[in-house]
Amino acid sequence: MGIPVRITFEQRGDAPRRLSLLVPMGSVVAALVFGAVFLLATGYSPLDTYSNMLSGSFATSRGVTDTLALATVLICTGVAAAFAFQMNVYNIGGEGQLYLGLIGAAWAGISLGEHLPSLVMVPLVLAVGALSGAAWIFVPAWVRSRLGTSEIVSTLLLTYVGASLVEYVIYTPGSYFRNPNTPFPQGRLVAASAKLDPFGDSRLYPTIIVSVVVAVALAWVVRRTEYGYRIKVIADSPKAAQYAGISARRTTMSVMLVSGALAGLGGALLVVGPYGKIEPSIVNLGYGYAGIVIAALARNNLAAIVVSAVLFSGLRVGGEKLQITTDTPIHIGVMLQGAILLFALGGEAFRRYRIRIVRTGVAT
Amino acid sequence: MTDASHEVARGPHHSGGVAPSALSAHRIVKRFPGVLANDEVDFDVRAGEVHTLLGENGAGKSTLAAILCGLYQPDSGHLVRNGVALHLPTPRAGLQHGIAMVHQHFRLVERFTVSENVVLGSRDLDFRLKRGQIDERVAAVAESYGLPIDPTATVGDLSVGQRQRVEIVKALYQGAEILLLDEPTAVLVPDEVEKLFENVHAMTRAGKSIVFISHKLGEVVAISDRVTVLRNGRVTGHVSGKGAADARELARLMVGRDIEMRPQRATHPIGHEVLQIRNLSLALGGVGVLSDVSFNIHEGEMVGIAGVAGNGQRELADTIAGLVTPTGGSIAIAGTMCTGRGPIHSRELGLAYVPEDRLGTGLVPSMSILDNLLLTRERSVLVDRTSLRPEAARLIDQFEIKANGPDHPARKLSGGNAQKVLLARELSGGRTTTKLLVVCSPTRGLDVGAIETVRRLLNDARSAGQAILLVSEDLDEVMSLADRILVLYRGRIVHETPGETASLAAVGAAMAGVLQGVA
Repeated sequence: MGIPVRITFEQRGDAPRRLSLLVPMGSVVAALVFGAVFLLATGYSPLDTYSNMLSGSFATSRGVTDTLALATVLICTGVAAAFAFQMNVYNIGGEGQLYLGLIGAAWAGISLGEHLPSLVMVPLVLAVGALSGAAWIFVPAWVRSRLGTSEIVSTLLLTYVGASLVEYVIYTPGSYFRNPNTPFPQGRLVAASAKLDPFGDSRLYPTIIVSVVVAVALAWVVRRTEYGYRIKVIADSPKAAQYAGISARRTTMSVMLVSGALAGLGGALLVVGPYGKIEPSIVNLGYGYAGIVIAALARNNLAAIVVSAVLFSGLRVGGEKLQITTDTPIHIGVMLQGAILLFALGGEAFRRYRIRIVRTGVAT
Repeated sequence: MTDASHEVARGPHHSGGVAPSALSAHRIVKRFPGVLANDEVDFDVRAGEVHTLLGENGAGKSTLAAILCGLYQPDSGHLVRNGVALHLPTPRAGLQHGIAMVHQHFRLVERFTVSENVVLGSRDLDFRLKRGQIDERVAAVAESYGLPIDPTATVGDLSVGQRQRVEIVKALYQGAEILLLDEPTAVLVPDEVEKLFENVHAMTRAGKSIVFISHKLGEVVAISDRVTVLRNGRVTGHVSGKGAADARELARLMVGRDIEMRPQRATHPIGHEVLQIRNLSLALGGVGVLSDVSFNIHEGEMVGIAGVAGNGQRELADTIAGLVTPTGGSIAIAGTMCTGRGPIHSRELGLAYVPEDRLGTGLVPSMSILDNLLLTRERSVLVDRTSLRPEAARLIDQFEIKANGPDHPARKLSGGNAQKVLLARELSGGRTTTKLLVVCSPTRGLDVGAIETVRRLLNDARSAGQAILLVSEDLDEVMSLADRILVLYRGRIVHETPGETASLAAVGAAMAGVLQGVA
């Protein structure tokens, strides 16, 4: 007995280029369809819900600026994740490095203070934030490159330590980072020179330029420089790297430090932009973890991170607004994010395999 | 399933009249993405004969074998077993019809004993294993074909030749009447090849059919009753009668043109010493891999290292190339010590290294030919691909590499072309002109045409005055190319002989660890 038809997966010799674009887009569509099933089942109109989400995120100028504002930090954490992932180093702790970037940038913004002009102060704050992120990954990077200790575990666990640190510096009475003038625990504001102004009356800051430039510059580094060449050799075949005398140890170390610095930069951009202080709610926002999803969606292509981060932000912003403007629960937006990731990763199969239905003729 | 009770000698062993086919394949077509692996192939094997499938890599012989044993299904065409049409959806179905494959890469559990491996996958075992009974049965099967093997030995402790015997016993135990032996001699030393051939004769005398898959002409001539030659998925020739096949004729059928098979030696007088190795020893993880290895190589000389895989050859090459720091002893290239100073330093002294593992060590698979040329060269902070492009194009041309230009990714090259890229890079010199070339298994897995090219390139490099260390498990290759042969056995040089006067017997014995004339 049985069906005289068999579904076979045939490996493609080489994935056609158009599929690299079609498959992610198809994944998004499939996820939306998947979400629609749940919306229908719970009594919401999928079309209304999606059009509300769209107007909240991409279809209005307010939506667009809000989306880009969120994308500013997500590009950083996305690039941080993808830069490490492309060398098969899994920095899962971008979240924690982001916290440290926030703390470091706030420290620089408060203490290096008043006398420096904005033109010096802002880059300085960003640099300190990035260095703080790098410092947070230093130990995982060192033990990974020397001893081969799993960076997945070490970076992830440090994230919890980082979250506690954020809470510690804000909730401890008398803390340097705490605003002494409010009874309610709040972050202390950085010097005015360390803070940028948003575009017009939007919530979008010029920091978006920094994010995009960093992503594009890093993509260029990987493509054109000797450093990028080394990364690609190690990523593809560590044995070939050894054969050519390329030190995997040193390169792994530096890639992890850069990855941590990028996540830290994301935190610093929040300080220079919308926050102006340490905002303890950061530990509930998951911007660092979102970077992992964004990297996966962009298949670790650094320039494509910009696109996937904007898409992801749009979903999130749209989902949040949905809750405000209608009675649709925010979880619909969260579920759609999860669905998109799942479909994007599953879609890889279509890129790598050709799926054929074969008539076997003989029932077995 | 039959077990120990085998009928013996019922096959009319090529005695006059033609025996009917035990298994035949008719007009088999099998297509893979981009390749027509089998194109209307006809093949048959009779009881009691050895029918060889001869062909280069990629000629389609492994595909045909996989179809014969049920691993693949043909796109069209059909199989006939003893006159009855046969459909084999799985290898297990093949086994039920008495067809078994002995794979080139053994599929044994090293921690299990011989009998445990033999009965693995049998469906008629009792819940409680009766070890004594099983051991006896396995021993009986083994003995009836002259395959002496201890059923209680742990497979991990056995030599490669013995493991192969376990695979064969397993097939016989499962009731195989037709055995497909996929490149069975690839891993064996000459002595073991002899033994294997005796076993094959014992099996054919008992009426078994053997499908022998090989690309080594010498042994094909020696063992086959019939030979079917495949090229590019098609049958290009058919030779019957024991010993009727002529190696040169088979080579022509296999490749499609005449092949030069003469040994080549150094023609120029040998010059200064380029490589000096003194008392080299190496231990990895506390296990001795090389001990007290000393030898020199001169300009224009090719020294061959012969040995069975795993006797320290690869480690010796890696150590000379600076990838591994030796535990003791010294290495000097062109008079400069380079022990433990890393591959870049050695390359600056004139080393070039073609490792055994082409794609993955010698070449980065995902990278283009151009980027792969950069791998062992000096690179500036901004990688300058533009100025290398013309040279890449020139090398592709000069080394006759089949590729769509310098941007062709390495992983999409055939084995032969990948090797040519590797040789092109290493011979063209990067940091300095090449003085010492270390090559490991340079022709392994290549087709005859590519083997010819690679050997010619090595010979040209020798004529140009480069010192060459040839490490190869292909004894014929070492014998026909090297000016001097060193045999490595358990990390020691146990035999040294000039290539011209080397005797296969002496080198083979040294490889097997039977000490003769220690250098």
